Amino acid sequence: MREAFRSWRFARALRACAAQGDERLTRYAAADWPAGDMAMADVSLLALDFELDGLSKDAHLLQAGWLPFDARGIDLRAAQSFDVRSRRTLDDDAVAIHGIGEQRARAGEGIGGVVDDLVGALAGRIMVAHGASVEREVISRVTRARYGHAIPVRSICTLALERKLNPNLVGNGPYRLAATRKRYGLPDYGQHDALSDALAAAELLLAQLSRMPAATRLGSLERL
Amino acid sequence: MVSELGEIQSFLGDTAPFDSLSPDMRASITRRITVRYYRAGEVILASGEQNDHLFIVRSGAVELRLAGAELTARLATGSCFASPSLLRGGEIRNTTIALEDTLAYLLPGQIFHELRQNSAQFREFFAESESERIRSAVRELKLKRSNTLEQSSIGALLTHRQPVSCSPDTKVSDAARLMSESDVSTLAICADDKLIGIFTDKDLRNRVVARAIGFDEPVSTVMTPSPVTLPESANISEAMAMMAAGGFRHIPVLGQHGELRAILSATDILAHLGDSAIDTGMLVARAASPEALVSAAQGIPDGFTRMEAGGFHAEHTMRFTSALGEAVHRRAAELAEVELGPPPVPYALLVFGSLARGEQLVGSDQDNGLVIDDRVDEAGRTYFETLGTRISDMLDEAGFVYCKGGIMAKNADQRLTVSEWQSRYEDWIDNPDEDKILRATIFFDMRAVHGNLELESRVRDHVLEKVAGNRLFLSYLARDAQRSRIPLGIFRNLVLEKSEDGTKGFDAKAQAILPVIDIARSFTLSEGLAAVGTLDRLDALAEAGRMARGDAESLKDAFLLVNELRIAHQAAQLRAGKQPDNIIAPSSLSPLERDYLKDAFSVIRGGLDSLKRNLAGGIA
Repeated sequence: MREAFRSWRFARALRACAAQGDERLTRYAAADWPAGDMAMADVSLLALDFELDGLSKDAHLLQAGWLPFDARGIDLRAAQSFDVRSRRTLDDDAVAIHGIGEQRARAGEGIGGVVDDLVGALAGRIMVAHGASVEREVISRVTRARYGHAIPVRSICTLALERKLNPNLVGNGPYRLAATRKRYGLPDYGQHDALSDALAAAELLLAQLSRMPAATRLGSLERL
Repeated sequence: MVSELGEIQSFLGDTAPFDSLSPDMRASITRRITVRYYRAGEVILASGEQNDHLFIVRSGAVELRLAGAELTARLATGSCFASPSLLRGGEIRNTTIALEDTLAYLLPGQIFHELRQNSAQFREFFAESESERIRSAVRELKLKRSNTLEQSSIGALLTHRQPVSCSPDTKVSDAARLMSESDVSTLAICADDKLIGIFTDKDLRNRVVARAIGFDEPVSTVMTPSPVTLPESANISEAMAMMAAGGFRHIPVLGQHGELRAILSATDILAHLGDSAIDTGMLVARAASPEALVSAAQGIPDGFTRMEAGGFHAEHTMRFTSALGEAVHRRAAELAEVELGPPPVPYALLVFGSLARGEQLVGSDQDNGLVIDDRVDEAGRTYFETLGTRISDMLDEAGFVYCKGGIMAKNADQRLTVSEWQSRYEDWIDNPDEDKILRATIFFDMRAVHGNLELESRVRDHVLEKVAGNRLFLSYLARDAQRSRIPLGIFRNLVLEKSEDGTKGFDAKAQAILPVIDIARSFTLSEGLAAVGTLDRLDALAEAGRMARGDAESLKDAFLLVNELRIAHQAAQLRAGKQPDNIIAPSSLSPLERDYLKDAFSVIRGGLDSLKRNLAGGIA
């Protein structure tokens, strides 16, 4: 029931998207979107990660990394990573973590082009991230700023999925990306750029899928 | 665009053979990778199917099964698999299964072939024959060792002692007196601080005494004028080459401004390279008391580490270290005889195991015994009891600690007459069982180091005669050899042993060296060959046509390769003040060394299989 409602809402949002008269949004809406009862093995996915200059609602996007994949594997040919140009003075703490200095951020791509590319990559794909609500929120924000309209996004959150697969761990620590990966025997990644984190989330989903029945439906994993 | 997929690129940078590619090349092949995840137990590649990828294990472990059946190899992080199928057009012969949850990187076959075409190192890495690879590994290690000679300059060897010199008009008699007083064998002849000639002991003999030249003649008439010299910055191998080519043992070394700095002798070089082994040997042989022997024996580990640092090859380090061990044993027996008086009947001191084979490293315990003339009486047995006890005690103090298995002359069953030894061996040979053989193999590596050597050869000849052609006994030996748990390429889980300080590693001795020794021993005994050292045995087997020359060479190389790593490991432990052991942590090895090891293991496995096929069949 919730699933059916969700797909109705998404279909309606796509129609609203198409009605904007922006070619890029029309293309997004017209993409071949998978039905909720499609087996996970056949679904096109896009792992996505943003690095922001802080945690606030208006934090700036510094870096975006994404890679299309599916349950069979992650083909790195289409992996993308962009530094986003920003003139704002960076939040020092965030810079220390991400290693993206001001100079590099200023030399990055204009945000508009990055958003266009991202929307193109996301068309027909289910977004995958660890803690997907951050990415969903940022996509809404940057597409509204770019097109005057926020695109609807379908997503699988590996964090929420992990809480379902391993519900009894104590506290939040065991559900963080690195700790979760460790449980599946995935390697420790020391780097924290957007593309590395996107790759980490994609690998994690493959590992999580290996624990579930082959016929697991897409709809059962979206927006847990 | 920013530096991308850095995690994968840096992983490849640490993984052979990708570490040999340029960073640009690595960046571009990174983009062609497909990442896949396999759950433990999942079949990754099935025999008979087609494959078009090279697989690289990123995390986890996989197992390759030949034709889906017998276990052949286990591979962990950093290992590649499926290359053989790419080399033969795609057909998979080894079913590959994930042993653990495994993350794998897949590189398209086309890229694999391009890399093989463009990079000799890449091609060599995936050379089809493992024995070829291991041979190139040994070559490389040897090269690395001799490089250390090329990198050390002779300046480092020079003692700070002022060279002894005199002017050209010095009388020969005064020159000789100067040499004698300064205890030098070479005199530098200098005019105005410039070296114009040298005068040596040999010159004194050949040009003065032999030709009856007057002792009042000036030294300039008999010196070697304008000798070859080397600058201080020259390296050791240049100096060695010059000495070898010129047939002399002394080279004057000049400083920056052409001033005489020192006379470098062959002895200086030998001392640097580990001739402390020779010095230690002298001290051992001359030790006048048990205390002196113990203190001389303390120089053995130092000689060992210097040989390792000096670039000695494994076979030389083992031989020297064994020679010293042998000297300590011999001297212990001699000193015990001095204390107790001469033996009532002839006897010999026997050593077993690594010392008998001439393959001893440092930190070995003692394995020995006495063989006594059959005419010994009760009083004589009491003498040998005291003698054996004295020898064992002295050896223990000298660093050859008591044998945990009791194989030492202080124990009664290790002090037997010739006929008692013969019947002891007969029992092992005629009535073998698993447990007996397990404890007896060491006795089939035996050598006498002191006393009446003929007693030992009477035992040995008898044993060789009894063993050759005794299928049942040989089958027990061959089966015993199969016990060793050889790591087949994997460096985790199954094969790691804990060392004393708790670090995990593989046991280089138990898991690689002992199987080679077992293989060589079993085949040698089956042929009735007398050789005892493992390398000698393998050579003897090849010569006798019992083993293909190529197989013998591969086993020798595997044996040397692991021993090189073992020696380097023990030398590092000794330098750090630790007790040497055989547990090597995989993390201490370079990716290339790990790959070489995998090949060595595979060669050893092949040898064990051949042993099983050839000799183990006698057991019903």
